[in-house]
Amino acid sequence: MNALVWRLHRNQAYIAGAALVALGALLLITGVTMTREYHAFLASCAAARSCGHAGQLFAGDGAVTSLVDATMAVPLLFGLFWGAPLLAREFEDGTHNLAWTQGVTRIRWLNHTVLWPLLAAAGWGAAMAALVSWWRHPENAVGAPVRLATFTFDIQGIAPVAYAVFAVALGIAAGALFRRVLPAMAATFTVFAGLRFLIAEYARPHYLTPVSRSYPPFSDNAAPHGSLVLSNATLGPRGQDYTAGLGFQQVPAACRGNATGQLNSCLASHGFHTQILYQPASRFWAFQGIEAGTFVVLAAALVAVAYRMVLARDA
Amino acid sequence: MSGQNAPAIQTTRLGKRYGSVWALQDCSVSVPRGHVSALVGPNGAGKTTLLKILAGLSAPSTGEAAVLGRVPGQTGDFLDSIGYLAQDVPLYKRLSAEDHLRLGAHLNRRWDASAARGRLAALRIPADRPVATLSGGQRAQVGLSLALAKRPHVLLLDEPVAALDPLARREFLASLTEAAADGDLSVIVSSHLLHDLERVCDYLILLAASRTQLCGGIDDVLAAHRVMVGPRRDIADAGRGFTVIKSTQTTRQTRLLVRLDRAVLDPSWAVTEVGLEDIVLAYMGERSTLAASPLTVIGPAR
Repeated sequence: MNALVWRLHRNQAYIAGAALVALGALLLITGVTMTREYHAFLASCAAARSCGHAGQLFAGDGAVTSLVDATMAVPLLFGLFWGAPLLAREFEDGTHNLAWTQGVTRIRWLNHTVLWPLLAAAGWGAAMAALVSWWRHPENAVGAPVRLATFTFDIQGIAPVAYAVFAVALGIAAGALFRRVLPAMAATFTVFAGLRFLIAEYARPHYLTPVSRSYPPFSDNAAPHGSLVLSNATLGPRGQDYTAGLGFQQVPAACRGNATGQLNSCLASHGFHTQILYQPASRFWAFQGIEAGTFVVLAAALVAVAYRMVLARDA
Repeated sequence: MSGQNAPAIQTTRLGKRYGSVWALQDCSVSVPRGHVSALVGPNGAGKTTLLKILAGLSAPSTGEAAVLGRVPGQTGDFLDSIGYLAQDVPLYKRLSAEDHLRLGAHLNRRWDASAARGRLAALRIPADRPVATLSGGQRAQVGLSLALAKRPHVLLLDEPVAALDPLARREFLASLTEAAADGDLSVIVSSHLLHDLERVCDYLILLAASRTQLCGGIDDVLAAHRVMVGPRRDIADAGRGFTVIKSTQTTRQTRLLVRLDRAVLDPSWAVTEVGLEDIVLAYMGERSTLAASPLTVIGPAR
């Protein structure tokens, strides 16, 4: 069985392997340079006591940074070019009739056909995520860009492994459902992109209750370095949103005579405050775990659906 | 039923429904071992459905099927015992014949690769080129070689010659005859044209309107059918002892193709023998009336 799977899909494996080697070479070369720059900068800024400007350190590495961000699309490519055609091509060409009348049972054929691409996707995703995480290590250390933000969160840690497995499982299930390559690819693209966007945009920021901090109104206080800020609003005593500013009529009468300097403290004593909601940087791995867990569970459900459709339906 | 005495294939009131449409209905056939059977019927008669059920690829909606006494399904013993060549000869396009043979060796407990290589070499089919570059006839031969390499006891072939030119057809059927003569092999080969199969088959299963119309040895079928020509009369008054399969009326005479239950004694009928192709066409043409009549199965020679 393994010989069949390898013979049918080895070209895809070669292409993916070559792409991984190329990406690895590029990131290793640029990554080593970045690490060296970073250590040199730390040494010099420690001497000059001016480490606050570290955020601008890697701003010049545009092309490579774009390439690294683009690795976000790799799991989708797995789904489109490994997952979707895996079963759909067999059904489209009718070769399932050939495979299913050899001496191996259908479930055994399916086990091998499904398991290897899923493992390959997980392995490839892990290698890529490890490379990117290592490459971004200096950037993560200076805290810019924020590691919990979309894009940076999505390409490092363990989430890319789960995305890759999910994308392939989605493609396999779509192939088992539609039995045609193009519809399976279209469904994989739509569902993967849609679900990833919805989760990143609406679910992820609320995986854990955000930390809330209150400061005097209109003050410059910010969330700790590296946090993902969800909201930063100036609120009135009854929770009214005054982020855009207060009109004269809205300033409590007692504060109207105050000079500008004392106005803010007067407002603060009347219940006005700036509230910041944020997810601290320390939650990165907790969020990675929740995100990866979600997609692995979804992948398992899709594989179960694919099994059901292949084993229960007629050829 | 299992073992040496079980028929090659046997079905009892087998039916397959897709949604509200019956692709196969009330199909009861029994074919003893060692025959090459023609499974004939017009397009859409249920030939592919029947073969898929027998190959374990499709589950019947009603009734039962058995191949060599085993219910078709996902067991190693069953899968080892059958060879199946689907319609349009599906092969992995980018793989060569040699690749297919190597894969077959991995996927089967019994695998006779040297015989398959010998067949392909004798037919001068390039074994190292992707099968997509081969002609239709060559691909069909590769498909047949793969099915035979399993050393099956029942070989199921679904319209293997439909897409082939006359020469490739003849070569394919010659290969089939040769293989069938060799050892314990029963063959069921389907076609919408009897003409293709008449020379290589000795058993006939006729499906029309998704039901079995005939199942029997070709000699028995021939012996049981006659053409009767006589003065014009109403078919209801034609007499007893036979079933009218097809009738043609002109102003002066009535011509009937009948299945005999006993000898026709009425001297006003001129009774003559009839060819297999005419019999088959008569059953196909009269499908609407026959679908309502009782199942017409002729048993094996007694």
